Amino acid sequence: MSLAAIKPVVRRHAEIGILLIAVALVAFFSATSDGRWANAYNFATILQVTATLGLMTLGVALVIGTGEIDISVGSTFGMGALVYLWLASRIDPSAAALAAVAVGAAIGLLNGLLVTRTGTPSLIITLGTLMIFRGIAIALTEGFSFSIPYAARKGWSFEILGGGEFLGFNTALYWLILILVVLTVVLTAMPFGNRLLAVGGSAASAHSRGIRVGRIKLSAFVICGALAAFAGTLEAGKLGFADGSMGRLMELQAIASCVLGGCLLAGGRVSLIGALLGAFVLSSIQSYLVVVGVAPQWFLLFLGIIVVLAAYGDQSLRQWALKK
Amino acid sequence: MTNGHPLIQVKNLDLYFGAFHALKNVSVDFHAGELVGLVGDNGAGKTTLIRVLCGMHTPTSGEVYFDGQRVEKFHPKLAIDQGIETIQQSVGLCDNLSIARNFYLGREPVRRILGIPFLDFTTMRDKSTRVIRQFGLRDNVSADDEVERLSGGERQSVKIGRAVEFRNRVVIMDEPTNHLSVREREHVNELAVQLKKQGLLVIYITHDIFQVHKLADRIVIMENGEKIEDASTSKMTAEQLEEVIRQGGRVVERREALS
Repeated sequence: MSLAAIKPVVRRHAEIGILLIAVALVAFFSATSDGRWANAYNFATILQVTATLGLMTLGVALVIGTGEIDISVGSTFGMGALVYLWLASRIDPSAAALAAVAVGAAIGLLNGLLVTRTGTPSLIITLGTLMIFRGIAIALTEGFSFSIPYAARKGWSFEILGGGEFLGFNTALYWLILILVVLTVVLTAMPFGNRLLAVGGSAASAHSRGIRVGRIKLSAFVICGALAAFAGTLEAGKLGFADGSMGRLMELQAIASCVLGGCLLAGGRVSLIGALLGAFVLSSIQSYLVVVGVAPQWFLLFLGIIVVLAAYGDQSLRQWALKK
Repeated sequence: MTNGHPLIQVKNLDLYFGAFHALKNVSVDFHAGELVGLVGDNGAGKTTLIRVLCGMHTPTSGEVYFDGQRVEKFHPKLAIDQGIETIQQSVGLCDNLSIARNFYLGREPVRRILGIPFLDFTTMRDKSTRVIRQFGLRDNVSADDEVERLSGGERQSVKIGRAVEFRNRVVIMDEPTNHLSVREREHVNELAVQLKKQGLLVIYITHDIFQVHKLADRIVIMENGEKIEDASTSKMTAEQLEEVIRQGGRVVERREALS
């Protein structure tokens, strides 16, 4: 197949760039880490991290799809984790998880209402709520952490909510797959998805066709908040404890994952599988830096450099594909 | 034909965008089975007026009646539900979506499985392709192609096809023949007359008074947000109407003073 024949494929599938980057990085990491990176245990860990970051990323991708952005998800993740941990030792973990998801959805509703009713840019609104809910999380924990007693870390409902494993993988991974499938169907094969992408592509045109633009955006924010809190729940289930800083800076990773994965920040183009590949790449890079023994203080620097290079590579590929 | 109560009645409509007075005390009636040409220069207020009728703008004051009922809320969804279909110039298509998805945007055909609505892709593809082909869509363009790949004329054909497919009671066409070839233009004009004959109200917005005079029963001329003329095409020739447009409100004032 000639290079020109690949162009339409790259144009149509925004996730091709991140797929190539993922393959290249996996090959490079495997070749340069002397088996410390490419082993079953490490993969399971990377996938667990990908699962929680990925769930948050899926929600952010939907909001980005409408042409808005939600940077409060890191705090929502933390709130979800704290609500779950606080309740899970008192009531059944499944009810605690529902409550955590409801809190996340409420935060999403607040974001969505503020954005759609006031017309204020979502970047500013969600920057505000990022700080508000981080502040609440820190105030609630008062510098300590919430945890589930070891004795209570059992039972099927605890295990399926990130607290256990199935076939060698943390149960969070299965939630991610389930939610990916559901959201992909919603986005590509249901009227809601058609309208969501239309709103992101041209809100004025969608409005002229009778689409309730505000409602679509509001729904995306609610789903995003709920997913971020659910991701926090699963992370809390795995760790069994959380403090007020849980999920800090994850919002940036989620947004980076979306962009790397081929979601257009201006809206209208979403690749959920691409966004997840983006999350996988970020988790893989972190894991690689750990196993090759890069000192933690250099983490962010290296991560940033690799993200910039990956984004540049993806952008170049896309520009090449768009050329006639 | 214009007997009975008007299908759309606009009374003393004013619309401000901030300090800008876009529509000034506009009153006009539109009847079912009528083809009305809405004519005027750029910035005359034609598009603003029809954007009120199709629910995109809410008037600052004044009243709009649809089929005798006062319109209380303005939203494109409500207008579409009432059977008002609009072919607009600058909006109406989302470039990122396929032709079929644009065609059915907002009223997607669904197949329910366990009560859950799934897009009926077969209907979307087949029907949209069949309808749009009549208005100049190339044979090698498929309904799955994104709208951003279409030429200006093809984009217009998607909008026209959609209005024809979903026609109900009113079809508003804002410069419908822009970007179209001569043959496609004729087709659209024939279609406007055909829709009128079927009893629909057709409002046809254009700069070209000579073109619309041949088709329309009545011409409404706007200038600077005001209606300055509302005349039957059997009473005024295209040349006379052109003079009104050229001279603006002055010629109408002079005529009224004389009478």
